[in-house]
Amino acid sequence: MTDSTESPDLTRQGGLTRLKEGTYGGLFAACAAVTLLTTVAIFVTLLSDAVVFFQEIAVTEFLTGTNWSPNPAGGGQAFGIIPLLIGTVVVTVTAAFVALPTGTLTAIYLSEYASPNARSILKPLLEILAGIPTVVYGYFALVYVTPVLEATLLPGISTFNALSASIMVGIMTIPMVSSISEDAMSAVPDELRQAGYGLGATKFEVSTGIVVPASISGIASSYILAVSRAIGETMIVVVAMGAQARMPTVKEAAFGVPYINPADVLLDSGMTITVAMVQIAGGDLTGGTVPYDAMFALGLALFVVTLVMNVLSDFIAERYREEY
Amino acid sequence: MATDSATPTESEDATAFGTVSRTRGTIFEYLSLSASVAGLVALGVLLVYVAIDAFDLANASPEWLLTYFVTLVLPFLAFCLYSAGDPAVTRRVLGVLGGGLVAVAVGFTAIEAFVVEIPRLSWQLTYLFVVVGPAAAYLAYVGSKGRVGAVGFGLLGRLIGGVAVGLAVGTLFLVFDELVWFLAYTLGVLPAAGLYAYGRLRDADRAVTAAVPVGLVGTVVAAVLREVVATYPSDTVIYLWTIAVPLAVVGALLVGARGSRTAAVAAGGVPLALATAGGFFGGSVGLPGPTTLIVIALTGVPTTVYVHRVVADREGTIGLGLPFLLGVGVIAGALLVEAWGVPAPDPWLDPNYVTEAPSRTPEEAGLYPAIVGSVIIIALVAVLSFVLGVGTSVFLEEYTSETGVVGKLTRLLQINIANLAAIPSVVYGLLGLGLFANLLGLGFGTAVTAALTLSLLILPITIISAQEAIRSVPDDLRRGSDAMGATRWQTTKNVVLPEAFPGILTGTILALGRAIGETAPLIMIGAATTVFSAPSSLFSRLSAMPMQIYAWSNFPQADFRYGVVAAGVITLLIVLIGMNGTAILLRNRAEGGT
Repeated sequence: MTDSTESPDLTRQGGLTRLKEGTYGGLFAACAAVTLLTTVAIFVTLLSDAVVFFQEIAVTEFLTGTNWSPNPAGGGQAFGIIPLLIGTVVVTVTAAFVALPTGTLTAIYLSEYASPNARSILKPLLEILAGIPTVVYGYFALVYVTPVLEATLLPGISTFNALSASIMVGIMTIPMVSSISEDAMSAVPDELRQAGYGLGATKFEVSTGIVVPASISGIASSYILAVSRAIGETMIVVVAMGAQARMPTVKEAAFGVPYINPADVLLDSGMTITVAMVQIAGGDLTGGTVPYDAMFALGLALFVVTLVMNVLSDFIAERYREEY
Repeated sequence: MATDSATPTESEDATAFGTVSRTRGTIFEYLSLSASVAGLVALGVLLVYVAIDAFDLANASPEWLLTYFVTLVLPFLAFCLYSAGDPAVTRRVLGVLGGGLVAVAVGFTAIEAFVVEIPRLSWQLTYLFVVVGPAAAYLAYVGSKGRVGAVGFGLLGRLIGGVAVGLAVGTLFLVFDELVWFLAYTLGVLPAAGLYAYGRLRDADRAVTAAVPVGLVGTVVAAVLREVVATYPSDTVIYLWTIAVPLAVVGALLVGARGSRTAAVAAGGVPLALATAGGFFGGSVGLPGPTTLIVIALTGVPTTVYVHRVVADREGTIGLGLPFLLGVGVIAGALLVEAWGVPAPDPWLDPNYVTEAPSRTPEEAGLYPAIVGSVIIIALVAVLSFVLGVGTSVFLEEYTSETGVVGKLTRLLQINIANLAAIPSVVYGLLGLGLFANLLGLGFGTAVTAALTLSLLILPITIISAQEAIRSVPDDLRRGSDAMGATRWQTTKNVVLPEAFPGILTGTILALGRAIGETAPLIMIGAATTVFSAPSSLFSRLSAMPMQIYAWSNFPQADFRYGVVAAGVITLLIVLIGMNGTAILLRNRAEGGT
């Protein structure tokens, strides 16, 4: 695009024209600078309040505490991130169980099996999944999915629960997995497929034995991005999961082996990092209180985690990409 | 002996070779197909239930459904079939409608009898959603390809689009000071537009260049004069002068360019007269007069111009009857239902719902302040993110180089933008809270804070899509422009941006759809979940549609949970689908044009 860096000045333009050119260039550069400023502003905003928070609460207490109750109720405040982390991990893992297999199979179908016609219908339809507002997904989970689960499979499920929220988060992230994976699969050159067919492989063998391994870096990076999206997802969990920061009860199996029954965690309400932030923000906001600053500390944790995931995904896509 | 024993072995091999097991592959193919549609089917089922709740269809009697099927759906299908003019399509549709009727009835009854009772659905409703809905959508698509259908849907689109845009503009003027607008328009916009037009017509470059400074000066003067000038014309006159008159002039010019002077006068004059009358009439019966005026003006002028064009072309004129067909269908259905005393469902989503404020009682609850809030946020976000997004993408694609120190910086910017796109929206909410609300003092949950926050949130998406649009402009065009001696800015302005414009607009609209649905950042910046009156300035606290949905979904009463919120969800989705549909139309038109 912009390889014509030095074009000779053939016209000897007057000062006004050159000034005009320079002004426009400067204006566009200023627009671009806004994106850099945004990153800096996010970082500074999060850090400045988080630092205040960590002056009140020790970092170790924040990272290892098993109790989260930002509003002083009887016993006083406690800022341990562990129950929130557990909630986040539960939602993310369950959502991944929904989104990753479905998304991958969708990508395989779109890139290997679907006719161009079917693809031209399915792809925009799948994009709709990502375009539905997440508060609507949360509403679906709370009002339709939970009662159905309660009436059919899981009578013991509570009104606010992690399971239906996670299922919805999973459905929301399907298009992210499928579109990035499909891009990676479509980039696999046709010679590889033809070579496979030449050796007598069936379409199934070509898809799973050649195309998927060849595009594994793209698939992996789509997984990480989807997981990162699930970690940061807010409204679905806020609406459908309730807001109780709980530590799961550890039971003892035979020979004193501790274990956690996943059903206990999934069928009951819980709290993720994002829910905790929204809960504080939904209360009376006053700058300078510890819960207010805690919100920024949580935001910083979330920011760092998702940033690491994004960089990791980028790294995997770049580093392990097969060059043909 | 040896040959005897060898032959069977060979043939065994041969048969084994001939019958490679394909079961696994077939199973896999169907497994992946079902995975692709699983999410869509789940969403579809949920949407059906939301629609049932929002329109109270669970209480719709079969007679009621049948009445509207006969008066509204069948004429619509017939129109589309006539437009398509294809016997094969007609056969297929009749087969689907008839076969679907039997299949749905039998299947539904069987499931209810032997497996499990399906809550809140009857087979008639299932038929409506599973067969009639998709068939009608398919036929609308096929029919719109025909000339008659294209005309009909074109007219319908202009009517609905004009009303929607008119209502949105009217809503905006609830907040913006119309006196400032009046002065700015009269002193800034009008002279600038006049200079620009003059310069273009007479090839006077100076006049064109002077247009922007004159406009800016006029706007500044207007802001100063706002306090000084004592008497102003009434609101209706202001809107008539600033919106209806220019629209009518543009319409008249468009029609006049095609020759007929009488038609030009009609295209400009009739909507103008109607808008004037509507403004005064609306004011006297209690409707907001200015809004009525804007809606009539914005609907009337495009419709008149379109009708004139169709009539002049003499092709597909019958299509103009589509709005009447639908209108008559609705009225006939209502009359029949009334005459026979068929119990009609009482939908939650009705005109009251979109014009009333929220309430404690579900029957009276409405979404009006939240709708106004959403419109204001979207208007501000659209301007901000469009300007910033296009500016950044032009810089990245046209102005920087890809080599040297600048190249490295550009790469850094690019990575930074990709990362920004992946940051969770709550974190943007914190940014808005810390930076705009606290540090800059723009206030908690005000329109400005919300708009700035959401603009930054969707900025990366806008930039990335605009970049793609600009990148897809062929390089030959740029080189051609360069060869004519154009400067970089002239090339960008005259060649690149017009080519890339549909793509940029598509991306921006899709990103705006994202912004409409965002809730978490608004909660973080302290936007009110429920406000009872529409915001009155840019610095008043506001709510937005998703915020109101979030607030209501926490209400324990079933009427709220299933009825009121469902209506809100449908409203939000209609707006979203409308925007996405516009974006897709734009993209298709641009692709068809080049």
